[in-house]
Amino acid sequence: MSSDSRSYKAQVLAELLSRKLTRPLVASLVSCVHCGMCHTACHYALADPEDPRMTPSYKGDQLRKIFKRNHDWTGRVVPWWVGAKAPITDEDLEALKEIAFGTCTNCRRCTFNCPMGVDTASINRTMRGLLTAVGVMPEGVRVVSKDQWEIGNQMGVLKEDYLETLEWLSEELVAEVGDPAAAIPIDKQGARVVYAINPREVKYDPRTITNAALIFYAAGEDWTMASDWWDQTNFGLFSGDDQLGGTAGRRLFERVAELGAEKLVISECGHGFRSTRCEAQNWAGVDVPFVMESAVVTMINYIKEGRIKVDRSKNAIPVTYHDSCNLARSCGITEEPRELLRLVVSDFREMTPNRQENFCCTGGGGAMSMSEYTPRRLKSAVIKAKQIADTGAKIVATSCHNCVDGLSDLIKYYKLGCQVKQLVDLTAEGLVLEECAVRRTPRRVVPMPEPLPEVGPAPARALPLAGRTVLVVDDEEDARTFIATVLEDAGARIVYACDGDEAISVAKRERPDLITLDLSMPGKDGVEAFTELRHDPEIASTPVCIVTGHPEFRKVIYDRPVPPPEGYMDKPVEGEALVKNVRRILETAHAAA
Amino acid sequence: MPQHEPSALLHTVEIVHWIALGIMGVVYSIRVWWLLRFRATRDRQAPGNPERTNARKGALYSLANVAMPWAMESTRSKPFFYATFVLFHLGVVAGISLAFLSSLAPAVVASQAYAALSGALLAVAFVVAVGRIVRRLTTPYLRLISSPDDYFSVIMLTFWFALAVLAQLYLAGVIQGEGFLVAFLIATSFFLIYVPFSKISHYLYYPFTRYWLGRTLGHRGSMPTVRA
Ligand code: SF4
Ligand code: SF4
Repeated sequence: MSSDSRSYKAQVLAELLSRKLTRPLVASLVSCVHCGMCHTACHYALADPEDPRMTPSYKGDQLRKIFKRNHDWTGRVVPWWVGAKAPITDEDLEALKEIAFGTCTNCRRCTFNCPMGVDTASINRTMRGLLTAVGVMPEGVRVVSKDQWEIGNQMGVLKEDYLETLEWLSEELVAEVGDPAAAIPIDKQGARVVYAINPREVKYDPRTITNAALIFYAAGEDWTMASDWWDQTNFGLFSGDDQLGGTAGRRLFERVAELGAEKLVISECGHGFRSTRCEAQNWAGVDVPFVMESAVVTMINYIKEGRIKVDRSKNAIPVTYHDSCNLARSCGITEEPRELLRLVVSDFREMTPNRQENFCCTGGGGAMSMSEYTPRRLKSAVIKAKQIADTGAKIVATSCHNCVDGLSDLIKYYKLGCQVKQLVDLTAEGLVLEECAVRRTPRRVVPMPEPLPEVGPAPARALPLAGRTVLVVDDEEDARTFIATVLEDAGARIVYACDGDEAISVAKRERPDLITLDLSMPGKDGVEAFTELRHDPEIASTPVCIVTGHPEFRKVIYDRPVPPPEGYMDKPVEGEALVKNVRRILETAHAAA
Repeated sequence: MPQHEPSALLHTVEIVHWIALGIMGVVYSIRVWWLLRFRATRDRQAPGNPERTNARKGALYSLANVAMPWAMESTRSKPFFYATFVLFHLGVVAGISLAFLSSLAPAVVASQAYAALSGALLAVAFVVAVGRIVRRLTTPYLRLISSPDDYFSVIMLTFWFALAVLAQLYLAGVIQGEGFLVAFLIATSFFLIYVPFSKISHYLYYPFTRYWLGRTLGHRGSMPTVRA
């Protein structure tokens, strides 16, 4: 196959695959014997027996075909014989996107049922990572990834909102227990424990933060939350983007180390725990000087050490437990939640199958952020719905925020009439505060916490870019607005474009002094636009500063047979650094002219 | 006991068969070298559940998985399928043994006890293989994932089992016709050379795949699996 016949994105995808290949991945790619044993392991296949595309090996075959076409002896010589096939067009990539994101939650149940040990979930994650790297992904994945890159958490929670929420929760808790010592400590240097949470808790479920704070308070723990890089979740796990995964992990690790904590306690979240505890060190290539622990283990230890006391009779409604796929199959957390539940509820009922054999809640793998696949997800949820209904429980306990959303959705859809709770809620609801460590030890006089840092407007600055026109090219409105506002504040006149075609025409019309160019955009992306721009004599000399959330494109851009961009910045960009860079580029360009 | 007097043709085929084995050995060694050229992975994080398991235990459990039908839901819930899997692979072992022993130890393969056991395994494997062809052709999701190599491999093995049964019968003196043994050895030679280029090479990769999966999941604490 001539690589020239492939679309640009298809070509880059094949190149990137070579870099992603590891021994375990290659072994999984070459070992499938197409026996079909994994078919009945997958909730998608079980719920939709008429659709053969739901079988796990078919999903794994999507990457296997590309691998064989590019790397396997037989696949390179006689591709049709072994089913080797590489994507050629952008439409082929779109079809791959539908399978990788829309028919698999990366739950790993098939992996545990394959006699050959083929890790189809990891294969699918790799496929997602390749598609993400060339900008082919569901809109939800694009938005959430951008938020994590640029704002530092998956849900785009701004620092002001986060701190305000904590302040409000803290005040409520202090009033509830009548003790200023119950306040939520922020950035407490040298605290023994740093507690990291899921942004969903700030946005939709702040009760879990209060409950955790109450438990830490009751146990007399020396703890804190961080004001920055507090998100323990990691969309890199879902999008397959190891660079995002590594960056998000590194930010959190560095913050915990800066605070000098002995332990990072991770709030209840399956994918958050897996990414932070089991994967992020490998993605980021770093070691950490502290211990990481699931909040479930922390709570068990508090009970066992007598630091908190829980009355099981306060939780008398029948409870079952849903094992999060990431916790059970990828982190071995199966017994701890059960141990805790037996300590805090009085009627615990097992779901069947359970532990590593449990079925996915159907909300995993980022499925909740891809609304275009909701009908299929809910159809596949019939398996989970039956599992829940069979227990007769009225509360489904789970240790994962994604599962809370996935389960709540299917409970409503299948009218199961139960509610979903996390273990931290059940533990807090059963607390007997009078018998906890904090009330047994003499009361300390704790002053009311310091007011939280104000996040005020930026100080007035000189106008270093006065008289300059900058073309800001980005498909994301938030990013465009941010870059434009920063540059406008610095005195520049701003013109906009949302994709590559528009960028070329606006550049020709407005003749800007500089272009800031995003790379991953629908339609003509930044790489193509950049190349075209450099070939157009009218605008070829306009300085370009790439501003991208895809550092992997650096090589792609510099490999183009055209003069390289004058600047390159990775998202998230700091306002000050952006202005500095733009100014430097303009000054250098002026000097050269 | 009938004598197995090699004709010139049979003698030549036997030599070809040994050469094919050599070629397969070389190609397999290259395959392993190729696999090991890819980047190794490393787990930096602390072990997930050191009180219960570790990378070593996970790897051993994973490697032993093939002999533990109770370990996976997919095999536990389909005992008949698992039994056919075992019989099919025992048939492969019997066929390969027959191919080599027919020239190395003809008296052994001609013995009644050997012939009965080997013949039975090969015959059952043949029946299983026919069943596999039917299953692959009639199950929609298997048809969807099957390549020409998948069909060819199972058809070739079925044909090879049939020839092996006939060769075994000939070697045991039950039927006449050296041609059966010659055809069986030619098929085996083809099989030896073709296998490294087809899906049948899975058995070469199997220990690597299972070891790496078990090591990874053992380190994370989820293998061996825990059942209620
Ligand atoms: S992934 Fe495993 S179980 Fe599924 S078809 Fe391939 S070898 Fe069989
Ligand atoms: S990882 Fe889960 S959802 Fe994906 S194919 Fe396997 S069983 Fe199905």
